[in-house]
Amino acid sequence: MIGCYDFCGHYEWTFAWFEAEGGHELVRDYWVEGISRDSQQHARELILSQGFAGMRAYWGHTLDHEAAGYAIHANEEVFRIDMHECPSKGFLIHNGLVQYRDYCDHCMGWIGPMMQDAGFVVDHEHNHCGQCWWEIRREESTAGPSEAGQLAGTTDVRLRPGWQTPSSPHDLYRRATDPDDKCPPLPPSS
Amino acid sequence: MNEEPSVALPYRDTKPQGAADFYLAINATFRFILNRLGQDGLQRYWSDLGCRYYAPVSQRWQTGGTEGIAQYWRAFFDAEPGSDVKVVQSDREVRLEVKVCPAIAHLRRQNREIVTCFCEHCYFVSEAMAAPAGFTVRVQGGNGSCTQRFLPTDAITPPQNLEDITRASLS
Repeated sequence: MIGCYDFCGHYEWTFAWFEAEGGHELVRDYWVEGISRDSQQHARELILSQGFAGMRAYWGHTLDHEAAGYAIHANEEVFRIDMHECPSKGFLIHNGLVQYRDYCDHCMGWIGPMMQDAGFVVDHEHNHCGQCWWEIRREESTAGPSEAGQLAGTTDVRLRPGWQTPSSPHDLYRRATDPDDKCPPLPPSS
Repeated sequence: MNEEPSVALPYRDTKPQGAADFYLAINATFRFILNRLGQDGLQRYWSDLGCRYYAPVSQRWQTGGTEGIAQYWRAFFDAEPGSDVKVVQSDREVRLEVKVCPAIAHLRRQNREIVTCFCEHCYFVSEAMAAPAGFTVRVQGGNGSCTQRFLPTDAITPPQNLEDITRASLS
């Protein structure tokens, strides 16, 4: 039997299997059709029908269940997540599992299309070490991402020691809903 | 249930059990592969997963024999929420008596359409794990409860008949 205890391990392995079978397009299609529209249909139903309230209902429940170290801040303009200890990436790091070139892409791979369908855009950054932040706004909003600490105070992951590590370049998204819409790489010291 | 995950598991988490909602993703993954790559593609996925991802388990079974197989499955089901499984070990065989399959039970609770060949993954994945260790697997039943036998490959037993594996459904 394939279990849920080590799910993140065989999930990450599966990305590499798809890429070998059908290239990058098959991996993208899996995130949209298999994960976003099928597996996570409960998230989709909440967020498409309730917007920010649905995000709070979904992520509060899910991240509690995954025992994540995270913070959520929301107002009528933006929904922000600061992930300090991603349980999923943490499992892979802890067990030395690396089959796919960028595991963290899967989050934008399934969340991005869901947000697009719900009428939201995403500012997002991850450091490939189990830390990331998300700011989700309505697509008609013209606001850009907040300054570090502005929305989340001391729980802003960008203020965390070790957020910037020279050996692990960050991926950055601006008003995105597609996992391939990454901004050009930032210099490590920025 | 043990508080600390067992060393019998090759990949270990900091929490004692997994999150049951991941069964939704496992079922959805099977459906996606079935739709895109057909039954042959899905069986190839299961076999590749057993051969490659679970290679560390096969290696332990190779050295540990039936003891290693039994230890693995006891630890495995301890870490799967909602399972009710008895692991019976003898000199020549390990038998899993699955009274409550945690995946099927959760998919039903969540009212998710279950891929009808869902239970076949237990045969294809386990067979790929067992073969390098000199064992073979036979599955009887499914759709929430089944018996899985891990036998030496030289045991005189008919090949797995996939019709012996019950199709999965919401009821």
